[in-house]
Amino acid sequence: MPVVAISEYKFPSKSRQELYGDDQLVHVWWKGNPWFVAAGCFRFPKAMPWGDFVGVLKGFYTADPDFVPDSLDSVQWVIDDQEVTPDPSASMEANGVGHKSLVQFSV
Amino acid sequence: MSVPTQKPVRKLSMKQRYSALTHDLDWPLSYVEEDDAFPYTKFEGIKVHDWSKWEDPFRLTVESYNKYQAEKDRRLYAVLDGFAQSQGQLSLSDASYMNAMKIFLQGIPSGEYQAHRNFAHLARYLNGPGARFASLCQSMDELRHAQTEIHTLSHYNKFFGGMHDWNKMSDRVWYLSVPKSFFDDAGTAGPFEWLIAIGFSFEYLLTNLLFVPFMSGAAFNGDLPTMTFGFSAQSDESRHMTLGLEGIKFMLEQDEDNLPIVQAWLDKWFWRGYRLISLVAGMMDYMLPKRVMSWKEAFELYFEEQMLNGLFKDLAYYGIKPPRDVEWAIQEKEILSHQVYWILYQFSHAAAFTTTVPNAQDQAWLAEAYPETWPIYKSVVWDKAQKVMDEGGRYFNPGLPQLCQVCQIPMGFTEPGDPMTQCQRHSIYEGERYDTCSDGCKWIFEREPEKYVQAWLPVHQIYQGNCGGPTLPDVAVWYGLEPGDGGEYVGSMDQLDWAAWHASTVKEG
Ligand SMILES: [Fe+2]
Ligand SMILES: [Fe+2]
Repeated sequence: MPVVAISEYKFPSKSRQELYGDDQLVHVWWKGNPWFVAAGCFRFPKAMPWGDFVGVLKGFYTADPDFVPDSLDSVQWVIDDQEVTPDPSASMEANGVGHKSLVQFSV
Repeated sequence: MSVPTQKPVRKLSMKQRYSALTHDLDWPLSYVEEDDAFPYTKFEGIKVHDWSKWEDPFRLTVESYNKYQAEKDRRLYAVLDGFAQSQGQLSLSDASYMNAMKIFLQGIPSGEYQAHRNFAHLARYLNGPGARFASLCQSMDELRHAQTEIHTLSHYNKFFGGMHDWNKMSDRVWYLSVPKSFFDDAGTAGPFEWLIAIGFSFEYLLTNLLFVPFMSGAAFNGDLPTMTFGFSAQSDESRHMTLGLEGIKFMLEQDEDNLPIVQAWLDKWFWRGYRLISLVAGMMDYMLPKRVMSWKEAFELYFEEQMLNGLFKDLAYYGIKPPRDVEWAIQEKEILSHQVYWILYQFSHAAAFTTTVPNAQDQAWLAEAYPETWPIYKSVVWDKAQKVMDEGGRYFNPGLPQLCQVCQIPMGFTEPGDPMTQCQRHSIYEGERYDTCSDGCKWIFEREPEKYVQAWLPVHQIYQGNCGGPTLPDVAVWYGLEPGDGGEYVGSMDQLDWAAWHASTVKEG
């Protein structure tokens, strides 16, 4: 439904991908772990290899004292509700991660 | 020379006086079209046939308004002076109480000011003189509220952190984008939607949930200035409630075509307002050293009892149904405050208030108020947070959270019936993905996506480099945060100062 307005009402998204150049926003959700109260929002290059991305997460989640970094090597990844097996050497983009995609896992 | 004989002055009754000084100052337009003089009252689709049907039960004139309000303000400022002279801040229940007042000062006066501006707009642009005059009074009230709140809290600014840059912060800091975006949303709507958003949903449906906790919280915790401000605002609030109720009834009585429009606004603004005051829920249950009542009890009394079982029974006569997401809110009453405070706790290093693990006394209270849900949160998060503290650390979330595109709160709310699984909703609009925290926010987004794609989401703005720089210290400077404003309460500047003031009192005494 369009906004009911006194004149034409059309504005660009304030968070569209082009505002981030070669990067994009990525949401990462450790489902079932309330220690991180909400999914995290990150800015990563689209071309970043998936393996490097997982490396960043292994550092990030050490904020949970019960986190075992190697556990991320055997989780089922879900990107935008699709179960996937990413290729660690391919880019995040090639693995199906888009702007503001939701990457989820649980351990 | 004849002396003109003066006719004896006939005194007007109150009612005649009111009429003469308000409605009678209106005139039929002779050389401009009504639509040119009042260009904003048709585009929303609300049909009005007779503006004279707008009832104003208060019958105030500007003269009586000024007299009455000046008297109230005089009393308030006398209390503020007395409090300052007697060093009243020393008899607060605890320095941690100030955290609630910091959120109040950072979030509310700029909202009052926004309300002032938009009611001033209505005071000019509604067609009927009765409706315009009631809006004028509320516009003046809201300006006074902003001013008196600022003055009420300015004394505390000399002694506690986090209150020095409230105005800048309300424009910039992440959790304050929640109230700011709420008022921006309402203020950019048409005048009738504004009346339902603020006049009715906020000032009528939810007002007791917002104000009673703050004001009785103040009374319970030795904050005489805030309590006095609350009393001073109370008589205004009853006028605002009347304006909101009169507004919705007027629209519904004028034309039956107005019903679906009003219902949709009510559905939207109930949810917007409810999400906004979830900050109050966190404050009530976790930030007051002396508790008044739990969020759950307040919600049951002021919303379920008074509104759902009272007001909505009356509005059913017009065909109005309870807001569409009301059931979601009802089931959330058990967990809302736990989730909100857990959000505030892990991001308070970037805030202008402090948080801490509930102490033994707080935990006993929480266990009694929430026998079913507190044990879950205690065992899953708070015991662990305490353990981190015991080992000399303090848990802060090392990243930035995903935010809801509509309410702008970090997406920490959970699926109904499943308090461990955050609720994730998404919409695709023109090829771009947007996230929302609940069915309510998702519905609001999809109803008017063009509006919410413009949301100034603090996290995204940080990543775009618009908030002072790429690191948290850069952002903190841009926010106006100073050392001691945020973070952990235990060992904070406020807590240390408080202990020092009381130690010296004991020594001298
Ligand atoms: Fe107000
Ligand atoms: Fe939301």
